[in-house]
Amino acid sequence: MQIRIEKRLETPKIVYIIIPVASILASLLFVGVLLLAIGVNPLEAYGVMLSRAFGTKFGFTELFVKTAPIILTGLAVSIPLRAGLWNIGAEGQLYMGAFAASFVALYFSPPVIVLPLMVLFGLLAGMAWASIPGFLKAKFDLNEIISTLLLNYVAIYWVEYLVYGPMRGKEVYNFPYSDLFNDYAILPRFFGTRFHVGVIISFLIAIAIYILITKTSYGFAVKIVGSNPKAAEFAGISRKKIIISTMLIGGAIAGFAGMMEVSGLHLRLRAAVSPGYGYTGIPVALLARGNPLFVMVAAFLFGLLYVGGSAMQTTFGIPVAIVDVFQALVVLFIIGGDFFTRYSISFGDKGEKYEGEKG
Amino acid sequence: MIEAEFLASLIAASMRAGTPLLFATLGEIVAERSGVLNLGLEGVMVSGAMTGFYVSLVTGNPWLGVLAGGIAGLLLALIHAFFTVTLKVDQAVTGLMLVLLGLGLTGFLGRDLVGQVATYIQPVNILFLSSLPYGNAIFNHDPVVYVGILLVPLLWFLMNKTRYGMELFAVGENPEAADTMGIPVDRVRFLAVLIGGFLAGIGGAHLSLAYAKVWTDGLTAGRGWICLALVIFSGWMPQRAIFGAYLFGGLDVLSFKLQAVGLGVSYHFMRMIPYIFTILVLLFSVIREREKFGAPSALGKPYIREQKF
Repeated sequence: MQIRIEKRLETPKIVYIIIPVASILASLLFVGVLLLAIGVNPLEAYGVMLSRAFGTKFGFTELFVKTAPIILTGLAVSIPLRAGLWNIGAEGQLYMGAFAASFVALYFSPPVIVLPLMVLFGLLAGMAWASIPGFLKAKFDLNEIISTLLLNYVAIYWVEYLVYGPMRGKEVYNFPYSDLFNDYAILPRFFGTRFHVGVIISFLIAIAIYILITKTSYGFAVKIVGSNPKAAEFAGISRKKIIISTMLIGGAIAGFAGMMEVSGLHLRLRAAVSPGYGYTGIPVALLARGNPLFVMVAAFLFGLLYVGGSAMQTTFGIPVAIVDVFQALVVLFIIGGDFFTRYSISFGDKGEKYEGEKG
Repeated sequence: MIEAEFLASLIAASMRAGTPLLFATLGEIVAERSGVLNLGLEGVMVSGAMTGFYVSLVTGNPWLGVLAGGIAGLLLALIHAFFTVTLKVDQAVTGLMLVLLGLGLTGFLGRDLVGQVATYIQPVNILFLSSLPYGNAIFNHDPVVYVGILLVPLLWFLMNKTRYGMELFAVGENPEAADTMGIPVDRVRFLAVLIGGFLAGIGGAHLSLAYAKVWTDGLTAGRGWICLALVIFSGWMPQRAIFGAYLFGGLDVLSFKLQAVGLGVSYHFMRMIPYIFTILVLLFSVIREREKFGAPSALGKPYIREQKF
């Protein structure tokens, strides 16, 4: 039998809705099988997941609290991705942002300037960390996927070193924590929950980035470099500048996420600043196809997953790693499904069999 | 002669620690030679590590564990091959998702294995050689280490002297031309990715069953990424891969050994060394590469026949 693959001339619009929805359902099904394998009823587990996220005030606000950093890391991946670069280092940039902000929070005064300085240092630290792979890519064409990823380990060990060493708090009983921040170094919270002002800022940043990349000439230049490097060169756009600048913007946003997590949530520096939000940014960016507005939607989906994941862990003892599995499956199903938007497949064994030019 | 003994034990430990890297790097060289980049190496290795540990734990036979590790790697590579070769999907995306999938699945399924003790691979003495002065450094390893060494000439032969090797180069350099010559591009690539996954899986199993001798979440700790750098470092040549792998194996143990000596440098700084060194080596390779070495021309590019006709 011969399988024939042909490029579609036109893709029915409905396909673009069916594929993501079907992919999510398929992933839920697949994860359900895994849950069954360890003796957990998947329907019960998913029920717990939803009732935690939507059934209580705490859970619902927590959904936003978890969505916010994912929006930011999603943007940190998306912006370089639009220029054709993979920033797999959002996790490390987040950790460096958390470190710099904590440094300010613990050692700087007077109080009134601390919070603004935490934001500034968080942004700068993330930027600085992202500038290394950005520079190496622009100057030496060093593979940014490997360099950004490897720097994550370095950043995480750096923060670990600090909370086990010089920045370890005085009253933390051997936990890898710094001391708690003073009140003036903490982002304001609302509704008596953990919903902090950083959540709102995250959404605003997404909108700002949307405007930057769709309404400005810079955004246009980024898109040209990403989609058609030759045309970019022809138009006099410096590819190197775009490479470095998109990495810097991405790093700054991830650095802000780190600042936000320590100042809004943990209220101190600790070894585990993030449960892997930087990596979650990758599927988010892919699902959103680099569009910041869709990043918010995709981040919400994965925020739900994190809230649900921790609910499933406390209720059934299911490892949170299941969240990673789900993320990977959704993307794999979607890109697998994408194939059908670009190509049509027909099966048959008669006629028109392509033999290739025997030479 | 404390120094000589220290050196001998360092060499021995480098070989042991470098073997997982060697397997994964060799496997990835084969895959990349065919033009398929598997960024999911980390996920493939960790799957091999957990599966190998689990099977050895259950059966009591570490060799079944190694085989199972290879098969686990093969299965993950099968996903990669199906997506990138059959469906022509972006290789970077699939590879990255393979990392998440591998780390996620092993974290999920391996939760009960943490803290367990499996049957590990034991070293063998090669004849009387290990009784030579410092012979232990080289001649007292587990068989997987030696298989790894043998793999180097074997793969060199496969890639340079056989028909499949020739096809591998052809599809990696110029799939259009290979296709025209009647070489089944997709089949050659598919097989290459599977070979890569199998070897990386065995590397992972060696990690959990002979080197680390334990299962923890994310046991590979970035080794898959280091191997991706080692492939570039080795210029896609098996005979160079062994140096890179042992070098990084040495680096890995050196950080522990210096710790034990008590140099006063923080454990956390020591742990950073391999990652920073990888970036430096990569930098060295890409600067040098401009003169001598080149990646396979079609690396990372899906081959779609319809684009041509």
